[in-house]
Amino acid sequence: MTQHTQNPLEHPEVQLANGRAYLGSFILSALLMTAGLWLTITHAMSPFAAILATSLLAGVAVIIQGYLLLHMDLSHAQIWHTVAMVLFLPLFVVTIGLTAWMFHGLYERTMIMPPAMSSMSH
Amino acid sequence: MLVHLQGPWNPLLGRLTLQQIPYENPILLGTFIFAAILGVIVLGATTRYGKWGYVWREWLTTVDHKKIGVMYCLVGLVMLFRGFIDALMIRTQQAIAIGPNSPGALGAVHGYLTPFHVGQIYTAHGLIMVVFAATPLLVGIMNIIVPLQIGARDMAYPYLNALGLWLTTAGGALVMLSLFVGNFAHGGWYGFVPYFELPYSPGVGVDYWMWAFQLSVLGTTMGSINLIATIVKMRAPGMTWMRMPIFTWASLSTNLIALTSFPVLMVALGLLGMDRYLGTHFYTAGMGGNLMLYNDLFWIWGHPEVYFLILPAFGMMSEIIPTFSEKTLFGYATMVIASFAIGGVSWGVWLHHFFTMAAAPNVNSFYSITTMLVGIPTGVKVFNWIFTMYRGRVRYELPMLWALLALFLLLVGGMTGMMNAFASNDYMWHNGLFVVAHFHMMVLLIAASVFGAVEYWFPKVFGFKLEQKWGKWFFWFMVLGTGWVFVPMFFLGMAGMTRRLDYIPYTQWAPYLHITLVGMAFYVVAVLFFVAHLYVSLRDREKNRVGADAWGTSRNLEWMTHSPVPAYNFAFIPHVNARDEWAWRKENGIAELHAGDYEDIHMPKNTGIPLFLGLLSMGLAFALVWRIWWLALLCLVLMVALIIIRSFDRDTDTTIPAREVERVERAARDGSSGSVPPAGVLGDAVIATSTVRSGSGGIGGNTTSPRPSWAPRNR
Repeated sequence: MTQHTQNPLEHPEVQLANGRAYLGSFILSALLMTAGLWLTITHAMSPFAAILATSLLAGVAVIIQGYLLLHMDLSHAQIWHTVAMVLFLPLFVVTIGLTAWMFHGLYERTMIMPPAMSSMSH
Repeated sequence: MLVHLQGPWNPLLGRLTLQQIPYENPILLGTFIFAAILGVIVLGATTRYGKWGYVWREWLTTVDHKKIGVMYCLVGLVMLFRGFIDALMIRTQQAIAIGPNSPGALGAVHGYLTPFHVGQIYTAHGLIMVVFAATPLLVGIMNIIVPLQIGARDMAYPYLNALGLWLTTAGGALVMLSLFVGNFAHGGWYGFVPYFELPYSPGVGVDYWMWAFQLSVLGTTMGSINLIATIVKMRAPGMTWMRMPIFTWASLSTNLIALTSFPVLMVALGLLGMDRYLGTHFYTAGMGGNLMLYNDLFWIWGHPEVYFLILPAFGMMSEIIPTFSEKTLFGYATMVIASFAIGGVSWGVWLHHFFTMAAAPNVNSFYSITTMLVGIPTGVKVFNWIFTMYRGRVRYELPMLWALLALFLLLVGGMTGMMNAFASNDYMWHNGLFVVAHFHMMVLLIAASVFGAVEYWFPKVFGFKLEQKWGKWFFWFMVLGTGWVFVPMFFLGMAGMTRRLDYIPYTQWAPYLHITLVGMAFYVVAVLFFVAHLYVSLRDREKNRVGADAWGTSRNLEWMTHSPVPAYNFAFIPHVNARDEWAWRKENGIAELHAGDYEDIHMPKNTGIPLFLGLLSMGLAFALVWRIWWLALLCLVLMVALIIIRSFDRDTDTTIPAREVERVERAARDGSSGSVPPAGVLGDAVIATSTVRSGSGGIGGNTTSPRPSWAPRNR
């Protein structure tokens, strides 16, 4: 059997709790989201560039939250969480990406929309 | 009520009325009488022989991975039988209802089953065989064998393990219940939208299908988390990744697939549930719904699921073939890579299930190519198995026969799979019998591997071998049945016959359909031989008792402990020195088990909570099917309460004292099975023996070597 303890406070995962990291993560995430919101509502960039920029901001937010909130690092207690996250990423890209690609071609063939709804076909 | 329901509803019983009991249908009435008599016999015998305490203590509340595995296999076997009866009815109907002049009976114009009934049967057949027969059988075998192969004392989360079992069982029981209360979905096992939406399928059939499916998804996801954590964290010291047995590798790959794909199905079914219960429009034809999204989500699970089923089967073949070729597995590293390559590719092929949906040509081409890529790692595996047998001392005992049948079926299924990989071909035979015959080759491959695995590991779990004579009759009649059913089915597919027909308009197809019925007769005989096989094996079990190493030439850690395995698996956690540790130890003459200096063993304690959670989840699903809101709420509240109560329970572990371990080990070593007292702490009476008994010990069967099981083997 693996090491076992009845006191939850002694679990290494629980010991990672850190108020400053949580606060830092909150402030940084709020700043990044505000930046994304600002980019979107002011139309400061072309639509495509705005999508890229907000995606980038979201990616940075994910990394910050993963590290500061979920404590994903390479320590003994956490490495498998990090590995699971890293392995999940290509899967996410494959499933969502291929689905989007398929629907893009499919809409053009089967769901010809009236002009007002044509935004759904892209 | 958030959606418009057709038919009556009242607050007490929801949609449930007396008219929902199909007592006017003689087939279902007969089934009910059969099930009731069987139930009375089982319950009566348990009461008569005063076994309720035993059943409760040793089975219903157990968290022992081996017993949970055995129960998974029993559930799988019962559901396999049900699925087989469904298949028998489909094939009989199709052999009768051919042409306008074919006779009709029992209310059917042609054949003896109405279209509505045929629809339910093929839907139930598909769902049961994939989710409630194959999956529990494979999960059960992984549950039993993986901890033994890695030298662990139990799974990482024994409580979760029991919960997974009881949720899966609840799902299976719900499918069975739909036979006698209400009806089942009748549009195919993987569902169609918007046909499965409430306006088009207003009955309870789709709800039964959806909630049963959902329960099994939940159970399997939990099982996969457990197996992954067990393999990653609980390997014996010295067992590096590249010393792991190949079946454990296959289990790891398969459970990674399960963990990542089953939640997608949960979402797909959840969205359908929201459409049916809350009136949302995820899959409706209008109102912003997307019909194709269901197909996409379902098969994002559906194709990885195929490899979830096939990889453990490959793992089983990879264990059986080296043992009965008396050689190490050829190309271990490539086998590992191939398992993960198949797992990896499995996430990129799902669209080949709906090539004809009108996706863009480049999309279809992409999925055609990825589908063909699956052939490369699979081909690697096939060649590895062949090279393992090449120049080996091949023994054609039952497990090996099944493994060879699986290999043959893989070739047929794989080649026809390559034909299906062409999108252009699919435009000709999508939803046709060619596809049906192809995937039956693959699932029969899984069935053959499972039968092989059961023959192979049965002595490890129960301490005696299954007899060979009736087993071989069973095997050969399964071969006959497979040939006679599915070769004509390939031809029918070529001729353009589509799947799920309740009436066949073309009389030219009659000879082929009649030949498949002959094949079904062979299958029926095979089932009888299977029963005889089990009966004779049980009757002659004393004669067929074996030692730790039942086959004499096995290679992995599971063969290092007693047969049957004590509750704690290993008195001492073994230190692993090599790949194929047991074979290595035999070769180096250190196969004797360590005796003495036993220590206390820390084990999880039995609990009835998973069983109650399973029962309550079944109650919840039943209440949701019939929309009995008070019952649903009650079950949900009780489930949450039980989970909270359990979380405060500190008395979850127990310790097997060293003297108890010593007593069990000594009894096992002495081989005096008749006088061994029960282990008492956990598990059954341990009738383990590592010694060789005259006429059977450690070798038995047709083994060519007369040496005892632990003797170093001269290669």
